[in-house]
Amino acid sequence: MHISMRREVSRSHSGRFGIGLLALITAMALFAPLLAGYDPLVQSTAAFQPPSAGHLLGTNHVGQDIWSQLVYGARTSLLVGFTVASIATLLSAIIGAASALIGGLFDRITMRIVDAFIVIPILIIMVLLAAYLKPSLWVLIVMLSLLSWQGGARTVRAQSLSLKERMHVSAARCFGAGRWYLIRRHILPDLSPILVVGFIHSLRRAVFLEAGLAFIGIADPGTVSWGMMMKKALDFSYMDAWTWWLIPAGVALSLTIVAITFIGHAMEPAMDPRLRKEVEGEAIA
Amino acid sequence: MRSIRTICSRSASRFGLLGRVLGAQNITTYIIALAIILTLNFLLPRLMPGDPLMAIYGDEALVQMSPQLQANLVERFALDQSLWQQFGAYLKGLFTGDLGYSYYYNAPVFDVILGRLPWTLLLVGLSLVLSTFVGVFLGIESGWRRGSRLDRSMLAGMMSLNGFPDFFIGTVLLLVFGVTLGLLPLSGAMTPYSGLSGGALLLDVLKHLVLPLTALTLAHVAAAYLLTRNTMITVLKEPFMLTARAKGLSPRVLKYRHAGRNSMLPVLTMTGVWVGVMITGTLFIEIIFSYPGLGYLMYEALLFRDHVVIQGVLLLVATAVLAVNLLVDLAYTRVDPRVGYAH
Repeated sequence: MHISMRREVSRSHSGRFGIGLLALITAMALFAPLLAGYDPLVQSTAAFQPPSAGHLLGTNHVGQDIWSQLVYGARTSLLVGFTVASIATLLSAIIGAASALIGGLFDRITMRIVDAFIVIPILIIMVLLAAYLKPSLWVLIVMLSLLSWQGGARTVRAQSLSLKERMHVSAARCFGAGRWYLIRRHILPDLSPILVVGFIHSLRRAVFLEAGLAFIGIADPGTVSWGMMMKKALDFSYMDAWTWWLIPAGVALSLTIVAITFIGHAMEPAMDPRLRKEVEGEAIA
Repeated sequence: MRSIRTICSRSASRFGLLGRVLGAQNITTYIIALAIILTLNFLLPRLMPGDPLMAIYGDEALVQMSPQLQANLVERFALDQSLWQQFGAYLKGLFTGDLGYSYYYNAPVFDVILGRLPWTLLLVGLSLVLSTFVGVFLGIESGWRRGSRLDRSMLAGMMSLNGFPDFFIGTVLLLVFGVTLGLLPLSGAMTPYSGLSGGALLLDVLKHLVLPLTALTLAHVAAAYLLTRNTMITVLKEPFMLTARAKGLSPRVLKYRHAGRNSMLPVLTMTGVWVGVMITGTLFIEIIFSYPGLGYLMYEALLFRDHVVIQGVLLLVATAVLAVNLLVDLAYTRVDPRVGYAH
């Protein structure tokens, strides 16, 4: 059974809602220079200005325009999210499939290492690494990617193991299909739903971790991050500024993660047919 | 193939009873995990360019140190010897409970951590219990009434809640209830120098605990809810549910004793993972509320570049998470005997 993820997501309410919201935020990130009006890292006027026509969300403690920071923050968040999710998904596909197809000792060793990484809390390792390395944006992305592929590799491996033994794959092999043909026509199409779900999962986690690390102060000082905005605003919590400084950043971040969560939820029935509603007979058909 | 299998079964018997219950696989996983953390802890400062002593302690602390103390440290960490000998000295130190010396707190790292540990245990423990109970209960109710208005609104609510990062939930709680309404204290775990005792002290501690605890619980309850609801839906379709219904059991017994109890199995499995997630969560929550637990300690250490403390916390937390996972594995074989036979 080949699952069409696109159909699955676009059919459910939560899927459509998530896609719409994420598209909106992506548009914000893409058109940041048009929307912003100011350079987010340059002082534009006096500090702690309340919202006005010139500065939609006022200015922060050093006089940077908060609205511009919010818009550019979407860039950092999504850049980190999509890059990390892509690298992690690619790694999980390669390592998971290799582990399943090669098997033997290689499989055992890889899976033990994967399991070990699954139980270690990533954020704490990131804090330790960051304490020594003082990461730039790209170092941060590489570190996050290297710590994010393990869960996906496990599911890819399990799925590849079962695909390898399926009847239609054996049939195709009997008819003389080559290895590449098999991978292209039979393994990859059935692996792709799992990869898409893994991608969404990594995306959600990467966006969260980027903001979280920035909130603790681990971020590239040359970028604007929602997490960093929240932390800075929290330092001035005794002023009213947080209502137009901290809340928008927090809401933007939360909306991004909520959007990704809803997309992920829409995919669940595709992965686990038991969750489908009975009225839809298609799972059986 | 056969040789690997014999090696495996042999190592399983070598691990004794524990090995037989868990299988050598799981134990190897935990050993590898611990090895990764130890190696990372050991290698990072030593791989940094320049003097490892400077990488560990930072230049400021190093300037203040007397040459004699420096020589002493070099000797203690065997820094003038080969990497392997250094690793040996490092491991030996760990086994004797020596996690290094913190220059910022002017005390052994072990003591610093021990002083902070109870607050984190209190926060994480209470929150784990609370969020799991509430999440499982709501998940059972929601799954039982799948498709109803209650279920749908609860699902949408929980999914949105799941999207809100814990540090945002924490900040909003702090700003609304602490700063704006002034109902609850803003920081700390108790009022300093209050001289309170008995019931008044307990009340004070509770007052300080309410906001961080609520934040952490809210951030986590959705995970337990979503998992339970999903399993509940799957379990309700099992043939044994039909049998139970045919026997004429009351809906209450069906819902809680038959479906509900089975829906709790994945929750138990996930508890190990959740402890890791919650410890990460407390890191943020403690920073926001300046709650003097391990998370806040780590944050302070990061600010003051007290790397030894960060390493100590990492090691302790990782060991704790591994231990919890091991316990969960053990408990699982008792709760669900099918797992034990699978090996």
